Amino acid sequence: MKKTFLPLLALSAGALLGLAGCSTDAHYVDPAGSRAVTEVGRINVQDFANAADTMVNSLIDSIISQDKLKSGAPGEPALMAISRVQNSTGQQFDTDQLVKKIRIQLLKTGKVQTSTTISLGETEDPLAKEQQAAQGNARPADYTLSGKIIEDRAQAGKLRQSAFIFQLSLSTRAGVAIWEEEKTIIKQGTRPSVGF
Amino acid sequence: MKPRPTLIACFASVGLVLAVSGCKTTVNTLEPGQPTAQREMLPDKRVITDASLNRRMRVLGVNSITTPAGFLKIQMEVQNLTSSLKSFTYRIEWFDEHAMIINSATATALPLSLEGRETKSVTALAPTPMAKDFRIKFLEAVN
Repeated sequence: MKKTFLPLLALSAGALLGLAGCSTDAHYVDPAGSRAVTEVGRINVQDFANAADTMVNSLIDSIISQDKLKSGAPGEPALMAISRVQNSTGQQFDTDQLVKKIRIQLLKTGKVQTSTTISLGETEDPLAKEQQAAQGNARPADYTLSGKIIEDRAQAGKLRQSAFIFQLSLSTRAGVAIWEEEKTIIKQGTRPSVGF
Repeated sequence: MKPRPTLIACFASVGLVLAVSGCKTTVNTLEPGQPTAQREMLPDKRVITDASLNRRMRVLGVNSITTPAGFLKIQMEVQNLTSSLKSFTYRIEWFDEHAMIINSATATALPLSLEGRETKSVTALAPTPMAKDFRIKFLEAVN
């Protein structure tokens, strides 16, 4: 009896210590770090940052850093408007989780500005649009950004896999895509976890 | 009718051998003997605080260029020193000419997976032309 009891006790103590080490008390996590929760079937906040990082890197590398952007207003950076970024995945999220990050980074390059009044649907800044209309000084966008987010799922036994494909295009006023990029993020697992 | 301990040990050993051999896959490569492109590796300073990570991966070197519009572009060559697939994360911080960090909306730890003995080139572009220096941080994957 004693022989079976002792290993069980040791095992339980070890499990308790292990659990205590992985505390689940509420705490802050660095959004740029690697300890955010990762779920297989969802696009997590770090995935949007990862995709946005790839898109901005590509856009700077092939267009902006090569001085290929042309502005319609002399002396001003090129003006970009956001067209449709379609969510074709099975989950609901705001595509601004991707688009806003890209806009912020592009604005920081000093080579691109983004319109808050030109849009396909609801205007980002309705008041600015009213003022613009009152002054009659609307400037057309030099470029438009559009895209799609696609999801593909697969399963082998208990192992689940989700692939999220981010596609973006930058088009001229003539409707010519001068830049296109695709980023695929694949996640595998049987359950959610912390970190990646 | 209880299973014998030797039989259990035998099955466990076979399972372990199968599991280990299944995970061990190393990469063979081929490239020109005399590469056309010449690269200039940057002298670097390394701070090693995780000996385990240092045994698993190695940064062979970093080279950089500045694009026509003044953006700093870096490329690092990393190698998995083990014989099995390993996952790491890395994060790049950019600094301006005054060594002040440049905040980025897309800054995030990026996953990096390397097959056994694989060498991979990873590129990154500074978010603004103001970036003049960088620091790369590596971590073993949490999972």
